[in-house]
Amino acid sequence: MRTNFYNEMYTAEQSVRAHYAAFADWLQSRPAGWLEQKRGEADALFHRLGITFAVYGEEQGTERLIPFDIVPRVLTAAEWATLAQGLEQRVRALNAFIGDVYGAQRILAEGIVPADVILTNAQFRPEMLGVRVPGNTYTHIAGIDIVRAGAGEFYVLEDNLRVPSGVSYMLEDRRMMMRLFPDLFSIYSVAPVEHYPELLLDNLRSVAPAGINDPTVVLLTPGRFNSAYFEHAFLAQQMGIELVEGQDLFVRDDYVYMRTTRGPQRVDVIYRRIDDDFLDPLAFRADSALGVPGLLTAYRAGHVNITNAVGTGIADDKSIYPYVPEMIEFYLSERPILNNVPTWILRRDADRDYVLANLKDLVVKEVHGAGGYGMLIGPASSKAQIEEFRARIIAHPERYIAQPTLALSACPTFVQQGLAPRHIDLRPFVLSGREVRIVPGGLTRVALPEGSLVVNSSQGGGTKDTWVLEA
Amino acid sequence: MRLQIQHRTTYRYTSPASYSIQLLKLTPRREGTQRALWWRLGTPGRCVEQLDAFGNQSHLLTLEGAHDEVVLSVDGVVETDDAFDGRLPVEQGLSPLVFLTPTPLTGSSSAIEALARRVFDGAAVDETVARRLMQCVTEAVRFSPGTTTVTDSAIDVIARGQGVCQDQTHVAIAACRSAGVPARYVSGYLLSEDANPAMHAWMDLWSQAEGCWLSCDVTQRALAGASLVRLAVGRDYLDACPVRGMRRGGGSEELEVRVAVHEATDTAVESMRSRQIQAGQQ
Amino acid sequence: MLSRTADHIYWLGRYVERAETLARALDVQYRLSLLPQPAQAIAAGWMDTLHELGLLQEFRERFGDVDAERPRQFLAFDRQSPGSIYGCLRIARENARAVRGAITAEMWETLNATWLELRSLSMKRQEPDAFALFIDWVKHRSQLFRGVLMSTMLRDEGYSFMRMGMSLERGDGTARILGARLASASGGAATGGFYQWSVLLRAMSAFENYRKLYRDAVVPERVAELLVLSDSDPRSLRRSVDDLYANLQVVANQRSRETERRAGEFNALLRFGQAESVATGRLREYLDDCVERLRNIDRRISSDFLVAVETVA
Repeated sequence: MRTNFYNEMYTAEQSVRAHYAAFADWLQSRPAGWLEQKRGEADALFHRLGITFAVYGEEQGTERLIPFDIVPRVLTAAEWATLAQGLEQRVRALNAFIGDVYGAQRILAEGIVPADVILTNAQFRPEMLGVRVPGNTYTHIAGIDIVRAGAGEFYVLEDNLRVPSGVSYMLEDRRMMMRLFPDLFSIYSVAPVEHYPELLLDNLRSVAPAGINDPTVVLLTPGRFNSAYFEHAFLAQQMGIELVEGQDLFVRDDYVYMRTTRGPQRVDVIYRRIDDDFLDPLAFRADSALGVPGLLTAYRAGHVNITNAVGTGIADDKSIYPYVPEMIEFYLSERPILNNVPTWILRRDADRDYVLANLKDLVVKEVHGAGGYGMLIGPASSKAQIEEFRARIIAHPERYIAQPTLALSACPTFVQQGLAPRHIDLRPFVLSGREVRIVPGGLTRVALPEGSLVVNSSQGGGTKDTWVLEA
Repeated sequence: MRLQIQHRTTYRYTSPASYSIQLLKLTPRREGTQRALWWRLGTPGRCVEQLDAFGNQSHLLTLEGAHDEVVLSVDGVVETDDAFDGRLPVEQGLSPLVFLTPTPLTGSSSAIEALARRVFDGAAVDETVARRLMQCVTEAVRFSPGTTTVTDSAIDVIARGQGVCQDQTHVAIAACRSAGVPARYVSGYLLSEDANPAMHAWMDLWSQAEGCWLSCDVTQRALAGASLVRLAVGRDYLDACPVRGMRRGGGSEELEVRVAVHEATDTAVESMRSRQIQAGQQ
Repeated sequence: MLSRTADHIYWLGRYVERAETLARALDVQYRLSLLPQPAQAIAAGWMDTLHELGLLQEFRERFGDVDAERPRQFLAFDRQSPGSIYGCLRIARENARAVRGAITAEMWETLNATWLELRSLSMKRQEPDAFALFIDWVKHRSQLFRGVLMSTMLRDEGYSFMRMGMSLERGDGTARILGARLASASGGAATGGFYQWSVLLRAMSAFENYRKLYRDAVVPERVAELLVLSDSDPRSLRRSVDDLYANLQVVANQRSRETERRAGEFNALLRFGQAESVATGRLREYLDDCVERLRNIDRRISSDFLVAVETVA
């Protein structure tokens, strides 16, 4: 079978790639029906441990599993070394960009990013102008979505700098693999990931407000009806910190306290898993019941730190994405290590003309949208859909960007008919504090329906353990 | 002109509240066209002061322990420039572009876009356009006291066709933004010897041609002048309103507001000055 | 510990215990309803039980008159009422889910499995003989949960709040079940006194205890003495309040002094109480006083520990 996408395990000539050879041999030597049995075991374990994605109603306590695939996604030491370097570089530049946007605004003055793209963006928070954050760190936890295209080269598809999720699946997938296939870990020397909560806690403690030696760190969740609640509870438990809801915190003067059975206790660092809009009903959405009234005042006074910082959304907006390579050169004076997907900015006349002439081959994305809405996938759309989108672009070109359709790489995946290639991406988690640290690998998401390119868990995506081989 | 302001706000709760927090924007902005000669903000507990994103002096008041009322009092004298004609001196700080982004209260509808077309029509923004804006908005939204529930959006207001000063202001701002003209909300006091409410809302719109903000009192269809005292500006009511608060417990609430804004007599100013000196000595 | 976490744990303990109390109250009334007697008398017994559990009004509003059959289904499986076994276990699980990180995995799994099994039980049609089995099942699940709690949970504040919830609820339940029996017994139709009171003892798992302690016939005065003042029966009010007081002292904070004093006073009252104080003529008043004291302590626990803790200047 000839394909136009990169297969992680096989070459175009259908021979097994070197780093998958031992796995292929191991697989060959398993008896028939064995894989099915192991997959059943994995499902049962996930259910019992309650590692679920909550779809929670009043009476019907439905908790769905995110499908876990037992074939690992393997990266060589060399591949990872480049990726890790590139990720660190990218996150450093994005962090510098956010600091600049809310500080001196040099990049606007230099005209590298047009001022109106920033200042009129709904993700720009004037509340952050001139605010000093500990260590000048904004993007404490970043999830960078990486894909691999036709010839095997890596591209950054998207930066997630607000409240990236999924790291609990990375940890649980590894735990599951080690439990189900311990022998594989003696054949392969796989870089460990289990220390992630340790690193995260250390990172959060390192960004406490000045003068706090033994900071109290809490994880702020929207509550148990949130779809990612399992992850919030899991991380809080692994780090040994309190899992709090907005109602557990309150502001006195301009300090934040939590209500405990022994009286108010000061809180120094809030690892929040709720969006900016809901953080403080006195500053942002007035109808938010999830936040803490007065929190922004305490934050701006420097008496509490919030991770990720308020206003990081300005750097992961689709309208900003095309400028990231230039940011890297501007702030770090380095050549970008990771590729950006080539992107046409439709507010530019030349780009718009090209895109309008080639809509059937391109992906057009709305810049303020998120998660697969307001998007046109040219090759998969009817003529009528394309024409409808054309009209929208002409009316408001500044709201759109366009990219070529990428052939995402595929990895053998256990499906009904046995092993078959399915498209995947990769979300490594990059921690920034005193230094930048990344656990090797990340979360590999897989689009389970044949031919599908959508890896989101809300739309039928699954996950795989991600192995980075030690050199 | 010197304006003497006395403003007392009382919240009464039907059962005791255990915690209250209020963000107050009740201090005149430090701007070229006005200065406070004397200003005192009285609150039932300690306040922390902060300059907010828009350069407004804000105070955060937190109250713990059972309480069934909160009384806020403001006393002061503000001097405004008699020569002020609505053109605000150029200020450092926030770019006018920030005031181009619509908010939930200042979103656009076809009615608002149509109004914006009548007003702007590609013309450079100047005093004439500003007057046309005020004219069109007050025709589209008739002044009608007691018709607002504060959270009404510009879209709702223009559909209803009537409202109070903050509603008219929101519609004017929404129209400006839909036409690509930066506009911001202003909250403050209005000299009112008659029965007019002394708490007021108006707007600033950005004139690229003149390189400055033009302050427009939409409700009165006039460029702002010396009879207005500016407390706070923002993207909409929520950014600039004098009191934004929340509480735990307290049952339902009764609100009483008393505001008086007069032209200050020399004796009044003198007595203020001496009180200020005394306060300074304490 | 976060006040909200303590609140969930406290109520988790209360609702698990309340489910068991309901099972025991149902047990008494169900066994008695099997005795040969007019349907009216059975209905009157259910009425006393519902009244004592504080559910009579809700029952009447939803179903009208109390008959001999409906209350049983209502107390066991009603889906709307937080006062049924079904409702209690649902709320218990909700509370556990909210604080999964603060209880052990085994506790969560026990409660979750109980809930899943109850849901499937409640969907099946109940055969008459299955009801006694159901009552036993509820008691077993509650006992299992208590065992898992005792053998896995860290002895920290959370443990004490759980114990406080459980002991307060148990004391309250004992007082109410005894009160219901007293009402029926004094209602005139109290024939077969022995049988009435021995059914109560059996439902409270106290029949053998009674025999060992008193080596005598079952008489109402002694039953009351055992269930209220006994130092050795684990479901007595005395033991429940003793446990409540002990755990309250563990978590005491700057605001809770008055609550401790009241719990201590109540504890002493039971500890040094004389048999005459629970004599049949006075028992009603005595039980009402106990229930009121428990209600007051519960309210005070809430405001001292579980909701907004105010500053101490």
